[in-house]
Amino acid sequence: MKNKVFSFINILGLTIGITACMMIFLFIMNEFNFDKFHTQGKNIYRVMRGYDVSKERVPYLSGPYATALLNDFPTEIKTAVRIMVSNDLISFGNTSFNEKKAYHADSDFFSLFSFPLLRGNASTVLKEPGSVVLTKTTAKKYFGTIDNAMGKVVEMDKHRQLKVTGIAEDVPSNSHLNFDLVIPLSNYYKEPWFNVWINNNNFTYVLLDEHVSKAQLEKHFPEFMNKYMGKDMARMGAHFDLALTPLSDIYFEPSSGFDNVKHGDKTVVYIFLSIAVLILLIACINFMNLSTIRAVERSKEVGLRKVLGAKRNHLVWQFIGESILLTLIACIFSIGLMQIFMPFYNQLLGYTLTVSWNALPLYLFLIGVIIVVGFLAGSYPAFVLSVFSPIESLKGKFRLGKGGQLFRQALVVVQFSISVLLIIGTITIMNQMNYVKNKQLGYDKEQTVIVPIDNNEFSDHMQAFKNELQSKSNVLSLSFMSGEPGGFFDIGTFEAEGQRDTWRARTEFTDFEFVKTLGLKIIAGRDFSSQYATDTTGAVLINRTAAANLGFTPEQAIGKGIKNTDRDRLSRKIVGVVEDFNFLSLKENMDPLVISPGTGRNIAMIKLIPGNIQSSVATIKNAYSKVAPAYPIEYSFLDQKFDELYKTDIRQQKILSVFSGLAIFIASLGLFGLASFAAAKRTKEIGVRKVLGSSIQNIVMLLSKDLLKPILIATLIAIPVGYFAMHSWLQNFAYRIPMYWWIFVLAAAITFGIALITVSFKAVKAATVNPVKSLRTE
Amino acid sequence: MIELKNIFKWVNSGGNRVFLLKAINLSIKEGEFISIMGPSGSGKSTLLNVIGMLDEFNEGEYQFLDQPVHLLKEKQKAQFYKTHIGFVFQAYHLIDELTVYENIETPLLYQNVKSSERQAIVADILDRFNIVGKKDLFPAQLSGGQQQLVGVARALVAKPKLILADEPTGNLNTKQGEEIMQLFKQLNQEDGVTIIQATHSEKNAAYGSKIINLLDGRIDNK
Repeated sequence: MKNKVFSFINILGLTIGITACMMIFLFIMNEFNFDKFHTQGKNIYRVMRGYDVSKERVPYLSGPYATALLNDFPTEIKTAVRIMVSNDLISFGNTSFNEKKAYHADSDFFSLFSFPLLRGNASTVLKEPGSVVLTKTTAKKYFGTIDNAMGKVVEMDKHRQLKVTGIAEDVPSNSHLNFDLVIPLSNYYKEPWFNVWINNNNFTYVLLDEHVSKAQLEKHFPEFMNKYMGKDMARMGAHFDLALTPLSDIYFEPSSGFDNVKHGDKTVVYIFLSIAVLILLIACINFMNLSTIRAVERSKEVGLRKVLGAKRNHLVWQFIGESILLTLIACIFSIGLMQIFMPFYNQLLGYTLTVSWNALPLYLFLIGVIIVVGFLAGSYPAFVLSVFSPIESLKGKFRLGKGGQLFRQALVVVQFSISVLLIIGTITIMNQMNYVKNKQLGYDKEQTVIVPIDNNEFSDHMQAFKNELQSKSNVLSLSFMSGEPGGFFDIGTFEAEGQRDTWRARTEFTDFEFVKTLGLKIIAGRDFSSQYATDTTGAVLINRTAAANLGFTPEQAIGKGIKNTDRDRLSRKIVGVVEDFNFLSLKENMDPLVISPGTGRNIAMIKLIPGNIQSSVATIKNAYSKVAPAYPIEYSFLDQKFDELYKTDIRQQKILSVFSGLAIFIASLGLFGLASFAAAKRTKEIGVRKVLGSSIQNIVMLLSKDLLKPILIATLIAIPVGYFAMHSWLQNFAYRIPMYWWIFVLAAAITFGIALITVSFKAVKAATVNPVKSLRTE
Repeated sequence: MIELKNIFKWVNSGGNRVFLLKAINLSIKEGEFISIMGPSGSGKSTLLNVIGMLDEFNEGEYQFLDQPVHLLKEKQKAQFYKTHIGFVFQAYHLIDELTVYENIETPLLYQNVKSSERQAIVADILDRFNIVGKKDLFPAQLSGGQQQLVGVARALVAKPKLILADEPTGNLNTKQGEEIMQLFKQLNQEDGVTIIQATHSEKNAAYGSKIINLLDGRIDNK
């Protein structure tokens, strides 16, 4: 094997492996570095409220909690800050933007959290209700420069004036809290809804005294809850409790529809960590294998050096030194490669990694690699070669022992097991995503536009908007809803006929056009109808699962009574049952759903006739601008919800595909090297066999068989592991594909095919050599 | 059986032609025992390889069993030589990873002989050469003479008409060498196998019925 080709393959494989590993390392460093920049972070906790023992706690509390906590625990709690995440229209002159990341917070916000201010003073910046703090990018968006922004007055939701009192640094990517502007919460202190205990719409963060532990404070919470919420809980038949989550743990809490902050997934992080280790392992194994082989080829050189007087130590260090040099070169290339691929990587991840080149761990990692790989890879051949007699090596009699062969084959098995595993993962995820994308959801998602309408201007003219659009020929149907499929469905508490305890179900507040707009199927009873005057206050629809949950068949459910106890307590009757439809992501099981006529103020869902979407959208835009001219319209299509809902999973799939490709590439590179070595080693034997009458096919099969045996073993190992891993991953989805047997066969076939091509390349070349050349003994 | 007419073989080295074989004219009948003698570099091995169809020549004609070899395609040539010619090498060239039995069996595998037949043929030859007890040993466990014995057995197993031996005793001591040469004589006289050997040694050459001298690629008739 030519020297140059060998070195190239070696460095290439190692470089790719190190680069991939480094990038994953960066990601992991980022993930574990969330929220570490807050100076008081050790003592900051988020208050979590439990509402159902079988479900996760939610971070939403109402305004009065913080006040009561400060009041009842003056020594333990030093500060409490509430944050209400809101959607607000901000205008300055003619520029208006719908700000989705508007935080309404208590005045201690910038004192509690370490979000540095570029302008303004942390203790005073949120004192006046009529102030606002913008992030750097937001300020530039409206005013061009941050100095230009200071002191200017903007209008919120067309009725409140806010003066820019401070500019904050843009929120770093490693923060679970993410805002574009902060407005004082004091604007709402006097609002009636703010002081109602069951209106849970704020996050509440507390700063504990240094000497107080979380457990100490939590002990008092049951008493606290009884004192303030005892009556309400009894009335609602609910049981709430409180708990504290330390700031550093918030990021890895499970994300849910009920928690509007950034969340990471520890499982994903660990998976990536494993992938990084595996890829690095493959690359290092290659390096060691190929170095060892190369060393054998140099045995003649070594023998000669010995004859010429080289000492054993000298040789050992020569080999190790060369090995470390190669590794060093690979590391340098890796750094360069990483720089080049950073933008693509950020795109793949969906956000920009904060790469601090001063990060000590990164350099430690590289140095570690150089030492371990360079040293290890260099020392095995070094010690082996330096031991044997020079005469043997000059005669070309040096052979790697059988033990070495077995070890090398074992390494190949490891490499390819990993590759097959990754391929199984990729194919499974791809299949699941495909299934999710194409599954019948029980509602009609074609040609349907979703327009968010939760602004005050719109709600005053809702009916006008509806009337205008319903009169247009290109609009089939329109409905106002509190939640669209794939969107937000709050959990409500109900009193239902036949149920002793309070019953919980997902809620949808909408109008009479709901069933028609979504194309749902009524399986018992009837739809809402304006023909029945009592429907608005006295009727509900439920889904099939709700009926089953209540212990009725769909037919039996008709006419039964039901009351929404945390909303309006009106006595309603079930007038119809709809077939189950996937209103939640397919990761969730089918929940019971209660559809009530009410103020669906979040979404307008508009079903259009097929064809010419452009002009239909224009019609909608037109109607909207007539009704809410100050608020820029945002619209999306219902059939695109998929991409949004499963964003993370699609991303995971892409990343896994990339890394599978890399893994198999590196492993094949190694296999190619081994095949070259095997072919070279058996040159004589091949010559003999050809003289004895072997055909080229026979030779190719002979060489391939030995090289492909480890691949077969690898496949057998990887399949059960892959089955187990993918089975666990699929559990994330309530609706999932079965573990098809052909996925494993396909993964094995792909790996085998690639290995075969790699090996046969060299095998065919070896088999076509003239035996005369191979058998020269002169 | 073998007719070589005006065979030339050369290689181009830096613009010059270096002749390996020059104007070789040879006629060999079935049942002959030929020794080709000559110093190192005279082209003995080359001539043997050409006769054995392992190597090509640039000019001339070669008829083997009345077939024009120079007109045959690769596959046909391979088919021809594997059924009619057996090779014995100076360095034995046994396959180290296979046992004596498997080594001898190998040519039969490449001729698609059935398993039961193979067993019979190999058992026969092991018996004939008195190495039945050694059939499960590996080449590394045998002496030089024994290895060459296996080499000869392997060359014979497909019942070839012609055996080509390139310095068969080159790596053996006197006694072992004699044994091998006696074996050749026996094969030639009793079984009628045509043998062509290339050798340095006058003593070995004397075993044959005719001696051909090569010098610088040419047949030296002095």
